[in-house]
Amino acid sequence: MKFTLLALLVAMTVTATLQAQTTLRIRGSDTLGAKLVPQLAEAFKKQAGNVSFDIAAEGSSTAFTNLLSGTAEIGMSSRKVKLDEETEMRSRGKDLREFEIAWDVIVIVVNRGNPVSDLKKKQVVQIFTGDIRDWSEVGGNPGLISIYTRNTSSGTYKDFMGLAMKDREYGSNSQKMAGNEQIASEVGANPNGIGYLGFAYAHAKGTKIVSIEGALPSTAEVKKYPYARPTFLYTSGLPTGTTKQFIDFCFTASGEAIVTKVGFVPKSRAK
Amino acid sequence: MPADLNNDSTPSRPTLGSLLLKSQRRTFLGVDKQKAIRFFFASNSSAAVIVLVLIMLFLLREGVDFLPTYRHELETYQHAGLEFCDLVEQPLAEHQQLCSKLRRVLSASLNTITYQARSRRDAAYQQMRDVEEETRLQRAVLTNALAEVPPAALEKLAQLRQELLTATQLAVSRLAVPPSLTPSEGWQLKRDLALLSPESAEPPLVLELLSAAYIRVDTEAHASFKPLVEAVEAFEAAPDELHTLLNTLKKHARETKALVTDFHSSGKGHGRKDPIDFASRITPLTSRIPELSGRIEAYAQRAQTAAASLPPQAGTPQATKMLSEMRAMLPGHLTEMRAAAGKLPQWSYEKRVSYFKVVLAFFFGDAWITNSSWQDFFGFIPLLVGSVLIAVLAVLIATPLSIIAAIYTNQFASVREQDFIKPVIEFIQAIPSVVLGFIGISVLGDVIKDVSHVSWLQWLPGFPIQERLNMFNAACLLALMAVPTMFSLAEDALNNVPRAYIDASDALGATKLQTVFRVIVPSARSGISAAVLLGLGRVIGETMVVLLVAGNRIAIPDFRSGLGVVFQPAHTLTGIIAQELGEVSRGSAHWQALFMVGIVLFVISLLVNWCARAFVRRFELSKS
Repeated sequence: MKFTLLALLVAMTVTATLQAQTTLRIRGSDTLGAKLVPQLAEAFKKQAGNVSFDIAAEGSSTAFTNLLSGTAEIGMSSRKVKLDEETEMRSRGKDLREFEIAWDVIVIVVNRGNPVSDLKKKQVVQIFTGDIRDWSEVGGNPGLISIYTRNTSSGTYKDFMGLAMKDREYGSNSQKMAGNEQIASEVGANPNGIGYLGFAYAHAKGTKIVSIEGALPSTAEVKKYPYARPTFLYTSGLPTGTTKQFIDFCFTASGEAIVTKVGFVPKSRAK
Repeated sequence: MPADLNNDSTPSRPTLGSLLLKSQRRTFLGVDKQKAIRFFFASNSSAAVIVLVLIMLFLLREGVDFLPTYRHELETYQHAGLEFCDLVEQPLAEHQQLCSKLRRVLSASLNTITYQARSRRDAAYQQMRDVEEETRLQRAVLTNALAEVPPAALEKLAQLRQELLTATQLAVSRLAVPPSLTPSEGWQLKRDLALLSPESAEPPLVLELLSAAYIRVDTEAHASFKPLVEAVEAFEAAPDELHTLLNTLKKHARETKALVTDFHSSGKGHGRKDPIDFASRITPLTSRIPELSGRIEAYAQRAQTAAASLPPQAGTPQATKMLSEMRAMLPGHLTEMRAAAGKLPQWSYEKRVSYFKVVLAFFFGDAWITNSSWQDFFGFIPLLVGSVLIAVLAVLIATPLSIIAAIYTNQFASVREQDFIKPVIEFIQAIPSVVLGFIGISVLGDVIKDVSHVSWLQWLPGFPIQERLNMFNAACLLALMAVPTMFSLAEDALNNVPRAYIDASDALGATKLQTVFRVIVPSARSGISAAVLLGLGRVIGETMVVLLVAGNRIAIPDFRSGLGVVFQPAHTLTGIIAQELGEVSRGSAHWQALFMVGIVLFVISLLVNWCARAFVRRFELSKS
């Protein structure tokens, strides 16, 4: 009899702890929410157990609207908070905390046989919008430029528009490739090709990284490179409990290993 | 008979079949067993029909909403004044094309002077990259070791450096010095490259000297083509002020559009906001029409002056030709710009967008632009053209192949050959299309590209080709996929030719060849046509191959290059659905547009199949 009671007690405590499992709701940028944060969350779950994640990535602005209405513990954003968003938070008595977790870098590559090794920002805009059609216009050998981009549903497609193209449309001569690998292999095979890649894919066979106004993308000098930007996690008020544990986890060695693997540059290495 | 004896002597034990089929009086809800079995079989065959109807209903349900949604989007485009900005923006895009021509003219002209210095510099840099590529592994190891925190041990670094040095020296020893460099430069280059290391940021001295030499020559070249350089710069800068104004207006229009989106998304959820007062939002745009027209006129004047100051001759004959092309295009462009300025006062944000216009915009729109930060357009023509071109090309390739194979197998081959050919051709069908796509990317694309660079084939249209992934590549693979279908059906058609025809032909003393080509093939004609059509149906709905291999460029192919058009990349109806549906938010205009594309694809397939059926019916009549 005693034994049964004991077993019952144990069972009850187990269910109680199970119920105490916390859920972290994370909302915001699709750049971060596509791969990076879900993978960090998976790794964190393995380590900390007893926690579940609810991640929805519908654009950076939703990070702040959700933090404001209290429907998220963490907001992820691929841009810094805007002034009006911050003031609105403050007017509701919420104190926004910012954590820069990683740098997102987009690298421009051309074929290795292409003599062009540096482009101006304006030229990049003009090439990808189709204004510049021939390599001889930017100091290369004459030949029509073949542009390889990600497909329209990819986050990078849109990110690159904002980062490098001043929000103008891609030229109609651009070809939409399924992924980084395919862009790399087409640029590697086409002497007149140009494309962009995530940082993790940058050193592909047969391709050459183009410097932008003299700046080459590298972990050592991320901040000087124009197509790099910091990405952030936001919380309202100082993070506590599991939220704090998760954010701290992002900055540990295993967290940074994931950041690197997904193709971002960890904050500690971005200079 | 023993069986009868058996039956008589033992009480009959009914078999399972007879139990099922024997009519018994027991009924359930008025249905006896016979009827129940009949219903069971009928229901199985009607399942196919029901599924087809359900698919149609589902497609229609998702797609029909597209028209109102897209109409709303187009109305917003108009009300928010985006259309107003595009009135000027779209013709202005041609300015960049003219600029592009001028820049090419300039580059070709400068190249006459700088060519040697440039190629010397480029050749030397290429050598450096070759060495870097060969020693990539060692360089990466060293770089990682240097970046490690805490820093790697000194002995380890020294060892890595030594390894890199050995590898670099090996790579350098294999280099062939380009003939444009002098022997002493070549020697220096090799010496400097042997010390190449990721730790030294500076490029080797020879390279810097060659770069400096190029810059010197380039400056000279700019000086000697000064009038051209200045005219090109002036022409490029001509629309700067117009652009500034246009960007302000565009920003305002975009803000209005954001308000509309905001209004509609908040309308569903919490507190409704006031509807947007378009009239007051549009005045900041329309009030600046005089200023805008003024700037358009100023641009036209400036462009004309710049063009007038262009020298009559460029550095090379081709450049001069391009220059005159540009000159010929300019008046048309300026007329268009002035016409746009004339259209501005008549433009009204209130004009209603009729459903007819929406349908036109979808079925005859020449731009498919999605995920745009300005305005999404769902024009269907580029995709349709891509799909149809690829399918027709594939059928053109597959038809002779499969029909000749069918005639041979059916009429000339021995039984043993038949037993070999038929299963082999039918086996092609078993290759998964994604595997074929891989072959297209990794093998066929390179083969076609290499062949197109063979010097004695340059008379072929479109050669040499630039893109590995193009319509021809996709069509070849699709042809391979269509061959089994077409072969089997054509073979059946030949088989179905009445024996009497052949006997009659033989009796008249015709040879085998005469019988085949005068009697058998003509009487199987409609069956063969049906085979071709069904092959077309098979090809037009194929997705994986075109998605991987066709190159995915959403633009109407440039038919000015004649038959060479088949070597351009294109996007297709099936490919766009596969590529974009995954990430589109449900119920958005984009989502519905993709369903519309699906409906059209479905209708095309139905039509093709229906035509094939019609042919077969004719063929059956001729048999009787």
